[in-house]
Amino acid sequence: MKESLMDILCCPLDKQELELEVVRRDEEEILDGRLVCTECDEEYPIEEGIPNLLPPDMREGAPA
Amino acid sequence: MTDADPGDGTDRSSVRETYDRIAEHFSQTREHPWPEVREFCESASTPDDSGTALDLGCGNGRHAELLAERVDRVVGVDASTELLRVARDRAVDRGYSDALSLVAGDAARIPLAADSADLGVYVAALHHLPTRESRRASLDDLARVLVPGGRALVSVWAVTHSKFDRESGFDTTVDWTLPGGETVGRFYHVYDLAEFEADCAASALGVERIYESEGNCYAVVTGPA
Repeated sequence: MKESLMDILCCPLDKQELELEVVRRDEEEILDGRLVCTECDEEYPIEEGIPNLLPPDMREGAPA
Repeated sequence: MTDADPGDGTDRSSVRETYDRIAEHFSQTREHPWPEVREFCESASTPDDSGTALDLGCGNGRHAELLAERVDRVVGVDASTELLRVARDRAVDRGYSDALSLVAGDAARIPLAADSADLGVYVAALHHLPTRESRRASLDDLARVLVPGGRALVSVWAVTHSKFDRESGFDTTVDWTLPGGETVGRFYHVYDLAEFEADCAASALGVERIYESEGNCYAVVTGPA
């Protein structure tokens, strides 16, 4: 994801701002990292350049 | 097609899991944008053709491609990370990846700030949300994300579709058949036009126009005044 996207991304649960933690990036994009809600502390992964802002109950492995 | 078990309405992972499984094959059969969406995008304008467009339930990004011709930035949101990977590859192949940002997210809990989208399309995805409550919440959340006066096109499957030919809205499961013959079910709420109109009107969206075309209900909506 492009860092400029941080302007509009928010936590899906409480719509509060997110903090970006970069693990790996190239010149243009953040490839791996985390987005952490500044209010509720929920963590959202960035994997292969795509931020996963699915709420916890819809993530991989969430109970059906 | 079988009648769906309506369940308790809390299973929010199953449609995502289905699309994760069928992503590649699904995308191969969804190459061309719908004419109704093309018409909306071509009529849509943003100040200086800049700004941000939202493709909610973007799938393989075939409509994001149209939006990328109108605005600087298109944000494609979909619950299936597998479909988002397909969308990314497609955007690279077809030369619009610079304008496209992809985000995994739930259409009823959009991970975008208020007033962040100048323009939106929400095509053939709302009908996958399992309860009327979640579908109405999704429309309200679309209103929150659109700038005041920002326009969006929302579509859902209609009961008049040749597949159904019924009169009032109902829940169902529609099978997707993979190339090997395996079938995977997807939840749908198929709308009648009056019900779609009622859900749009009850939301925080302004409603510009509601109509039916080729077995789908469409609404041109606006952000809160």
